Amino acid sequence: MLTYLLRRLLLIVPTLLGVSIVTFAIIASSPGGLGGALLGPNAQLRPEERKAIMAYYNERYGLNRPPPVQYLKWLNRVSPIGFKAIDTGFPGSLKFGLKWCDLGESWQRHRPVADLIGEALPITLLLECSSLPLIYFFALTTGIAAARARGKFVDVGLGTVLIALYSMPEIWIGVLMIGFLTNREYFHWFPTNGLHDITSDAMLFLPSFSPVGFQRGWLLDTAWHLVLPVVCLGYSSVAYLSRLTRGSMLETLNQDFIRTARAKGNSENVVTYRHALRNSLLPLITVTASTLPAILAGAVVIETIFGLPGMGLLFTDSALQTDRELLMALTLIFALILMISFLIADIAYAIADPRVSYVD
Amino acid sequence: MSIEYASAANAFDAGETGAPPASDPAPTTTRSLGRQAVVDTFSRFGARVGMAWLLILALCAVFGPFISSSHPIAMKVGGQWSSPMLRHVTPADVLVLIAALMAVVLAVGRWTSFIAGLSLIVAAVIVLAAPVYWLVQPPRNIDYSLYRTLASQGKLQAVVYTINRYSPSDRNSADHLNPPGAKHWFGTDNDGADVFSNILHASRVALSVGFVATGISVALGIVIGGLMGYFVGVFDLVSMRFIEIIESLPRLVLLVTISALIPPSSRTIYVSMAIIGITGYTTYARFVRAEFLSLRNRDFVQAAVAAGFTESRIIFRHLLPNGLTPVLVTTTFGVGAAIIYEATLSFLGLGQVDQPSWGSLLQEARAGGTGFIWWIAMFPGIAIFLTVFSYNLIGEAARDALDPKLRKRD
Repeated sequence: MLTYLLRRLLLIVPTLLGVSIVTFAIIASSPGGLGGALLGPNAQLRPEERKAIMAYYNERYGLNRPPPVQYLKWLNRVSPIGFKAIDTGFPGSLKFGLKWCDLGESWQRHRPVADLIGEALPITLLLECSSLPLIYFFALTTGIAAARARGKFVDVGLGTVLIALYSMPEIWIGVLMIGFLTNREYFHWFPTNGLHDITSDAMLFLPSFSPVGFQRGWLLDTAWHLVLPVVCLGYSSVAYLSRLTRGSMLETLNQDFIRTARAKGNSENVVTYRHALRNSLLPLITVTASTLPAILAGAVVIETIFGLPGMGLLFTDSALQTDRELLMALTLIFALILMISFLIADIAYAIADPRVSYVD
Repeated sequence: MSIEYASAANAFDAGETGAPPASDPAPTTTRSLGRQAVVDTFSRFGARVGMAWLLILALCAVFGPFISSSHPIAMKVGGQWSSPMLRHVTPADVLVLIAALMAVVLAVGRWTSFIAGLSLIVAAVIVLAAPVYWLVQPPRNIDYSLYRTLASQGKLQAVVYTINRYSPSDRNSADHLNPPGAKHWFGTDNDGADVFSNILHASRVALSVGFVATGISVALGIVIGGLMGYFVGVFDLVSMRFIEIIESLPRLVLLVTISALIPPSSRTIYVSMAIIGITGYTTYARFVRAEFLSLRNRDFVQAAVAAGFTESRIIFRHLLPNGLTPVLVTTTFGVGAAIIYEATLSFLGLGQVDQPSWGSLLQEARAGGTGFIWWIAMFPGIAIFLTVFSYNLIGEAARDALDPKLRKRD
């Protein structure tokens, strides 16, 4: 198990390298060129000025070098092992060894990429971590209900509703939610966008009753802002996982040990939750690994719709502005999050199922 | 008693696992597994509902310009009849019509197999493209207000309009933000363009993106996955690592990165199709590879090798037909996913700009500076939803039809 873990952890490194090469190649082969994106708001210039500024930028960011050289320079800066300039009195002295990772500075925002990600990552993780338990809760309850009522109205109805839910595009539901539920013309039940109210800095952390009346406090305010994004992020995964739970439960309920459990005189609830459910969870663990990319991709769309300043919004912005440093760092982190969650799913699988062992 | 019976049935079935499906109690005709699966799929209610909607959509895609156009079918001005609609038919409309006509004729006549018919239609469209584009040249500058002026001046002596009287690009600022009603069925947008007409004309984009993108994915997946599964070794190893690299990024992230780097002026529908198609091949490649790996050691393949058949013959005649059926189900879901990806890209402002699409209409509902206009958001969304829902219903039915564990229930 330990060797397996180590091997998997080590395999992350070449895969990340591969991801960075692929992304870098895509960005480098951009037909528009990167220089234009760098000009940004100063784009309305006279041709010769424009040319001069472009030449300056190309020189400054090394864009006039061949792409492989650019990539190697970028890699050397980002990787924790590499060449670094040292102060020996001779210009250009390099030393090979451990050093700090430097993700560079955003081309558009002129701030260190690490800072930008440090601000955005907690928001995305908050979104993911608050939706995952809810997704599993609703998926399990509906899936079990459908499996127990197999072939009856509840099962068929739930099945149809869930396929329908699965087919609804997040962009549509998001737009409708914002349009109807945060709009003063219809139902102003939820805040329009962002993660906090403007006044949230002055709020207490917990809800409280004061002479002025009920104060919702920082925690409740954040939760209130998160309701719509979480629902929008989660519903299609609920549908997918629920169908899977149903299938897995049905398979288990057909097995001999369930009949034995019933014959012992156990109540139907005990049979369902103690015997069947525990044995049906295995496929759900593996599928977590494929749910996470869906949720991460969902975050890209949902943060854009709901204006949450997380990784997704940062990513779409950086892609639209061709901000190479930011884009490279974000794709690497997305890949890292996914690979680590795949690994966790594999480990959880081995722990949950004693028949699975990764020793070979 | 019933429990005993069930266990007996289970034992019977368990003894039968692994046997080919030909051992069904009543094999009515000798059909291939693929054909059987298709027949099984469309005997289910959900799949039929899905198919019905897709047929409606296909009709909209083919006859869109004849159902909803600002150009009258026929009008009489100054004692002379003319047909502005036929005058403004685009080469693409003609090609789509030809393809649809061929499809109907081939389907009714049953002269060719599905694959052969499809190739025939594609070939015909490619061959006819050049002459059609040369022959059919609609006017470049279209002035829709002409018909309104003619009508208001009373110069139209007789006129026959299409069912819905608006073209998608007919922006009449006098009519902007009209709610749904008898005149504009789904209302109008900020510029005064008819929403129904936009949705109707965009169905062509949605359908073609779904088919072409998935077609590219499947073709790439079959070729690469097949080679991986058949030749194993270094090629398999390298390709598998590459697939892992591609799959360690969420597909939407990859799509956004690629399409954001393409300058907006060259982002056409074909580019969207290609990007969505190429990024989606990994699933199919994995599927086909796994199938090939399990098939290549089976007796019938060994027999084919022993008989001295060429490798291409073994791959295309022996392995592929047997390994392809499971890909069918994934393909159906894949078409729905491709449509959602296209809509999402358009929604994020990264889709094609030359034609209206359902996603860009949704984007308009969100970004239009006039606040939330419910009819612009509702109807394109319903169109996307129903289409994806149809594909998913068919996919579910296909999965049930192909799953032997579920089959014994019926």
